[in-house]
Amino acid sequence: MNLQLIGQLIRLRYQLLWARTRTRNGKIAWFIAGYLLLIMAIMLLALGGLGAGMAAVRMGKAERLAQGLLTALFSSALISSVMLGFGINAAFSDVELRRYPLRERERRFARHFTGAADPFWFLFVALELGLATGLYLLGASYLPMGILAVLLLYVCNYLAAQVVSLLMDRIQRQKGGSIVLPILIMALCFLPSLLMPKLAKNPALAGQAAAALRYTPSFGAGSLMTRTDAGALHGLALLLLWIVGLAVALSALERMPPRRPVAKSTRIRWDSPFDRVSALFGREHGILVAHWLRFYFRARRFRVQYGLSLPLLPFLLLIWTRQVTRHGDPFSAAVGVFAVSGITAGAAFVVNQFGYVGGGFRRYFLFPCDPGAVLRSSSVALLAACAPYPLLATLTWLLFAPVPFDARGLALLLASAAFGMFFFHGLGLWTTLYGPRRCDPNQTMGNDLSLAGNIALIGTMLVFLMGPMMVGQFHKGILTPERWWVVMALAALAVCLYLFSLRRAGAIVVARRERLLAVVEGKA
Amino acid sequence: MNVPTEAIRITNLVKKYGAVTAVENLSLTVPSGIMFGFLGPNGSGKSTTIGCLTGLLDPTSGQIEVLGERFDANSAGLKRRMGVMPETLGLFEPLRAHEFLAFVGRMYGLDEATTRKRVTELLDALELTDSSKVLGEYSTGMRKRVAFAAAVIHSPEVLFLDEPFESIDPAGVALMKQWLHRFTEQGRTVFMTSHVLETVERLCQEVAIIAVPGKLVWQGDITTFGREGAIVFDGQEYDALEPLFLRLTGERRVDLNWL
Repeated sequence: MNLQLIGQLIRLRYQLLWARTRTRNGKIAWFIAGYLLLIMAIMLLALGGLGAGMAAVRMGKAERLAQGLLTALFSSALISSVMLGFGINAAFSDVELRRYPLRERERRFARHFTGAADPFWFLFVALELGLATGLYLLGASYLPMGILAVLLLYVCNYLAAQVVSLLMDRIQRQKGGSIVLPILIMALCFLPSLLMPKLAKNPALAGQAAAALRYTPSFGAGSLMTRTDAGALHGLALLLLWIVGLAVALSALERMPPRRPVAKSTRIRWDSPFDRVSALFGREHGILVAHWLRFYFRARRFRVQYGLSLPLLPFLLLIWTRQVTRHGDPFSAAVGVFAVSGITAGAAFVVNQFGYVGGGFRRYFLFPCDPGAVLRSSSVALLAACAPYPLLATLTWLLFAPVPFDARGLALLLASAAFGMFFFHGLGLWTTLYGPRRCDPNQTMGNDLSLAGNIALIGTMLVFLMGPMMVGQFHKGILTPERWWVVMALAALAVCLYLFSLRRAGAIVVARRERLLAVVEGKA
Repeated sequence: MNVPTEAIRITNLVKKYGAVTAVENLSLTVPSGIMFGFLGPNGSGKSTTIGCLTGLLDPTSGQIEVLGERFDANSAGLKRRMGVMPETLGLFEPLRAHEFLAFVGRMYGLDEATTRKRVTELLDALELTDSSKVLGEYSTGMRKRVAFAAAVIHSPEVLFLDEPFESIDPAGVALMKQWLHRFTEQGRTVFMTSHVLETVERLCQEVAIIAVPGKLVWQGDITTFGREGAIVFDGQEYDALEPLFLRLTGERRVDLNWL
């Protein structure tokens, strides 16, 4: 085993990570991430671990509490890794590693070792070690066993993330995979919300569910951490079995070549729905709008996001409004869901419209047209693509609304959708210009937006979803069908903001084109 | 060859990136109806100059005229008369070749029927008729052919080609050369960069050589090689472009004992 070379590759991996922080965005992200991590680490190590340990020991339920916390951490790491791409994006692919004098086994080892050595995993290891230390200080754990449990769970977590992401990649490459995968993800995401009421009503079922969890890696780690009898051995065996099983599954998946799509016809087809739709926008804009629509719907990432929104909105509308019925006003919650209904389908593209274009970006400045028109048509194309979703939300609301039908209420909800859509698409123009990031249009999962893009996207989603509920909570009577005109006025303001941004952004594209070119073509 | 006017005139062009000077006081003229080679070592400012000439970059100072008109990034009318094959090719990877070319043709103002006809003919001639693949799945040579087709689809009067022949197979290169010859015979101009000096010597009538940082060190008629057998520079005779280029850009000889 060429350990020296593998060590050099890990060093290179960290040098590359460090190099990314040299950009301004990188420095800001690094600062914020470091600050948050420090606070989180201090709080969780000191309070989470010790507090959990104390509570567990006092209640005499150290094992159950450790198992619960480890399950939460394991799931969080798995979801963050698979959905956001942290910790599993291989720094070096097998093809890249072939240039080094490494055998196949060494290449695989190097690939996974550099992946497992990602700083992302160290955060979770730190949190789990905090728990082990807390339990040890309160006499509920034997520290070496706790550390062993944490390390084995870390390996298990990494392997599970790799297996799940590879599995998703393989499904996605199957015919119809772009539709099947989002539905599977949505079903998994909403499963707990659907099951919880049933489990609460039926304690026997809850017991069965808990019994099934005994065989999960985090429960095994919890037992190994807190017990000194045969239970610890059972936990150790369980963890080892999981590691072996996941390693075998990973190896099998890696050997299974991804299916390459084969086109049925090689004949050129001229007529496309994109051209027909974009003919509505006039000659010059029509050509550009058709181009953008074609580009977006050809990008795998856009297709997945677009497809994911199809089940997401009805689910969100139904579950969100029903859950808050117990604590608050379902109508306020619906206002929030409608506000995001015109956003979710292409959010990442809205805040980074040039970032996915790659080398083709410079064409826009070579064409005999105003480059501002390129951004305007991109925005209009995204707006057109997102527009059907508020209608889907309306249909769902009309069929399943938990409150009696009120035409003024429906007008308010539609105004909320218009407000959300125009506000966010307006904001997206600015982040496209001032926070661009070179991204892969075919990478289906992971978060590759800039700091500004992330703040705009996540911030807007949270404010839109939570804001109306909080307003409804503290200022009762504002978001009611009787006050439909309040949101209508906001929607009108958002339209003005969008039109102003559209007009202003055009000139800025030309002024910032050198910077944009450098970022989009990967030179900055 | 009858050279009626100047296709390109660059006067005191300067391009700076902060404190770094990429192009320093570059002045040159390119006559119409010829193939003009723009040469220089890596990092000498060739692509930056082409960026300024095609409106991608704003010059820090200096003036550019194309086809007798002052050119800047907003010169839409002039851009319509120019064709560009950028160094990075400028392709939209998720599109198919015919979709990309049709888009380019339409953006340059061709009507739908003409665009379709030209796209079909270009793809046929460049052997790119298989529409089952998107551009991202094409080989480097095929991508280069598509970029070349995109540069010529609207029959421009001035053609900027940045490293046009690298990675293309001999048959493809021969076809492109044939098209370029016919192009200049009609009085149109080709402004090209290349590191393959033999190709430049065979194709171009005039050459400009720049050295770091974007300084013109030589410009002249290289048909002299064919007519008189050699070019005299600084009292010394050069029988080919390569030795002249190496002399002008500073030939380096470094011996590595272990190699």
